[in-house]
Amino acid sequence: MSMITARSSNRFAWFGTERWSVTPGPFKVGAVILLVHVLFAIGGAFWTPHGFAEMGTGLPLSGASWQHPMGLDQIGRDVFSRFMYGAHIVLMLSFAGTILGMVAGTTLGLLSGYIGGWFDEITQRIVEAMISIPFLALALVTIIAAGPALAGEPVLIVFVVGLVYAPRITRIARAAAMEIATREYVAVAELRGEGIWSIVFREILPNAANVLLVEFSLRLSYAPILIGALGFLGFGIRPPTPEWGLMISENRNLLIASPVTVFGPGLGLASLVIGFNLFTDGLSRMLGQRPVPGA
Amino acid sequence: MQKLIEVRNLNIAYGGAAGWTNVVQGVSFEIARGEAFGLVGESGCGKSTVAYRMLGYGTINSFVQTGEVLFDGTDLLKLDATSLTRLRGNRIALVPQNPTTSLSPGMRVGSQVREMIATHKALPDGMTMGQRIVELFALVGLPDVSHRYPHELSGGQQQRVTIAMAVACNPDLLVLDEPTTGLDATTQRQIIQLLSDLRTRIGMAMLYVTHDLALLAQIADRVGVMYAGQLVEVASGDTLLSAPAHPYSRGLIASIPTMDGAKRQARGLRGVLRRDQMSTGCKFEPRCDFATTACRTTPQVLEPIAGARSVACIRWQEVAAPQPLTLVARTDGEVSAKPERLLSVADLTLSYRKPSLVDKLLGRTNPSVVRDIDLELCAGEVVALVGESGSGKSTIARAISGRLPPRAGLISLEGGLLPPTVKDRSVEQLRQIQYIFQNPDASLNPRRRIRSILTRPLNHFGLEAGENTLEAVLENVGLHAGYLDRFPEQLSGGERQRIAIARALLVNPKLLICDEILSALDVSVQARIVELLRSLKEKHAVAMLFISHDLAVVQQLADRVAVLYRGELMQMSDTASLLSAPLHPYTEILLEAAPGLKKDGYVSRLPAMPASKAAPGVGCPLAGRCPRQVGSLCADVRPPLHATGGGFIRCHIPADELASRTVSPEHKRSAGTDGIRVLNS
Repeated sequence: MSMITARSSNRFAWFGTERWSVTPGPFKVGAVILLVHVLFAIGGAFWTPHGFAEMGTGLPLSGASWQHPMGLDQIGRDVFSRFMYGAHIVLMLSFAGTILGMVAGTTLGLLSGYIGGWFDEITQRIVEAMISIPFLALALVTIIAAGPALAGEPVLIVFVVGLVYAPRITRIARAAAMEIATREYVAVAELRGEGIWSIVFREILPNAANVLLVEFSLRLSYAPILIGALGFLGFGIRPPTPEWGLMISENRNLLIASPVTVFGPGLGLASLVIGFNLFTDGLSRMLGQRPVPGA
Repeated sequence: MQKLIEVRNLNIAYGGAAGWTNVVQGVSFEIARGEAFGLVGESGCGKSTVAYRMLGYGTINSFVQTGEVLFDGTDLLKLDATSLTRLRGNRIALVPQNPTTSLSPGMRVGSQVREMIATHKALPDGMTMGQRIVELFALVGLPDVSHRYPHELSGGQQQRVTIAMAVACNPDLLVLDEPTTGLDATTQRQIIQLLSDLRTRIGMAMLYVTHDLALLAQIADRVGVMYAGQLVEVASGDTLLSAPAHPYSRGLIASIPTMDGAKRQARGLRGVLRRDQMSTGCKFEPRCDFATTACRTTPQVLEPIAGARSVACIRWQEVAAPQPLTLVARTDGEVSAKPERLLSVADLTLSYRKPSLVDKLLGRTNPSVVRDIDLELCAGEVVALVGESGSGKSTIARAISGRLPPRAGLISLEGGLLPPTVKDRSVEQLRQIQYIFQNPDASLNPRRRIRSILTRPLNHFGLEAGENTLEAVLENVGLHAGYLDRFPEQLSGGERQRIAIARALLVNPKLLICDEILSALDVSVQARIVELLRSLKEKHAVAMLFISHDLAVVQQLADRVAVLYRGELMQMSDTASLLSAPLHPYTEILLEAAPGLKKDGYVSRLPAMPASKAAPGVGCPLAGRCPRQVGSLCADVRPPLHATGGGFIRCHIPADELASRTVSPEHKRSAGTDGIRVLNS
């Protein structure tokens, strides 16, 4: 009756039922919420009950009904259609911005942590300066500096999210790289005469992956809030594209007349952020990492 | 004899993702009052798990399925938390493995001992707390160190403090979990000496858990050998070592390198303990030389045999049959014509901190870690660098490999000067020196498969790799092609070290630097790696700089030995003459400390705490510790070099006088007084 620890065989098997049962609860809940969001966004990109910019689909401000589950806004646009269509915009902007910040931040952070010395000093002072500016202020200044030609372009939003995130991710990546740089397999590579890039990407990056993955999903969970805030302030995506933050902003003076028009995008944003957060929490527990709270 | 503690049919399982794994199965033994019982086995055999259960302690995921641990009639496994607290520390005390992590770094050691006494209200009548603490420190051979923090003490002194804590309440049973594993050979022997001394004075029983049979031989009355969670043999220490009855014990003993300068005929152990490859019968069957088909299916239980011993093997009679333990004199390498010089190191001086600008202006110099090292290596030669921890062995290796630019001195390879840093060395120079690290867990990238770990150096150095280059090199180190697609974590420690060796060999180096490559491995694995290194040396004519603190291993492998103490070469000699005539006092100390397989009544000649440290760079580094010190001369004047037969020694006493090997009492006394007075003034 010898018991067997058969870890090696199923190490790479993708999610089986067995594995699903041992994952932490928050991860499951978060994963389900995110899956619903993704399906909803894919659906919304291809089909909506009405056009997202189509005016006069019904009586403006008439409240919720079967035809218009989230009511109609001031100019008679169907809020639910706009909500559906906006889902993929929020998701794509969040992902693109976070990935940009991740690539830039990871590269800079790993290099800074591994090389050290004056390079590290300079990088870290710049990073600290950027972190010390409140993120919304930094974002607004960047958008204003970009000028009217780029205002409202998705590219600019992605860039702004990346810019806000990169310094924060740099710090995490640097801390991980500094720790890994002391391991002996890095010394082995150095003794072989490998270059800096080769050591950073072959030896250090794969071992920092856990930390960075958790950091990525944590940043991802805050991205919709940042994008929503920009939209709410009128610096986000150009209307009439229905980004959720923009929709809340547009309909906020209808809060008394037809509150249901604000609920949809608000709940959408909230559930997305909560979903991401739960997912991150579960992921970090599975990977044995603790996420750093705060933006 | 009166039983103090009795373990009956203990079964412990660890819970994991894949269900329960049986870690300890049916272990039963007893310890009488005042007896020292040793538990020995390879890593992962469950010996520590058993030891911690003696304190009623188990990790969260462990689960006792059946069994009893009877201590003075009460079952520890059924006691509640409060009664256990009363018992632990008071009647059963633990000496942990690593004193550095088990002493609280922010508390003075005096208050840590005080805590122990206060918790159990164990202050003897008519004594103040302060007196008791000083008395305890005196008991373990320390002066009053109660106001020091743990980091102000050396490893051996820290372990003495934990022992003082453990005996503070005069326990009946002392559980020692590998108490000397992290320590130097000389310190190890001092601790062992202290423990047997304490045993006779306090009369407590001991459970000594270790993987080191040679040390166990010095202290234990009876020894239990564990394999895969089962006790396979219990016998008195002497009987076990002279005539082991279980094939596993036999293999374990054969694996131990000894200092007798001869190679044992008996074979060591093959394979490793794999819990996922267990047969239903005898657990040891896959690795056993005596195994029959019956062994595979019939479970073996511990059965008493003659002479108060018991063994779990059906074929013990054949195993125990005294085999001719032929001691074959080692055939030393033929003394051929002097091969060309490969590596030479001249006047090497190293320090870790770069002198800052302020230091330069003020003309200050940092103390150097290593001073005036001259070393030569010929092609195909194995030179061992021996010394205690902190003596600078690895630092020298770092400098040769180019990771630490020397402060002064030259390193040249094959006549050509080597640039001081890795960055400035040519690809060819980098290829010729390969470094193998101490810990294979850390030197293999855990996220890469063995295949990519091995192909990377080939691609980097632009070497031709045929279809079966990798297979061939794996075969060379005793592995097979099946390992290529595994990750390092799927390999055992010994296999990982083989991969590290394979990686170094793959690029055809001229010089291998082996930095303590055996110290992280089990004895049985060590023996096989030594075997491997020896065959590689013969086959590939690769030179090795073999860094070790273990003289027994060194004598099996090395052609020449360099003895290092506090950053200075004390002696350089060929292995055979070093062992037969150590000459230098420090080498003598090292040799005496190496444990043999018999009780040798070793008495340490070193004080537990040197009264003073020799100033680096001035005088002999051994001054203040040396048993043969010549007055104040040693502390003040740098000792001269004397040429000997196969090398040199650095000592004030001429070689022929040292060879007469007598330590006069005056010398001893002067070591204690003169040298110190000079330093203190």
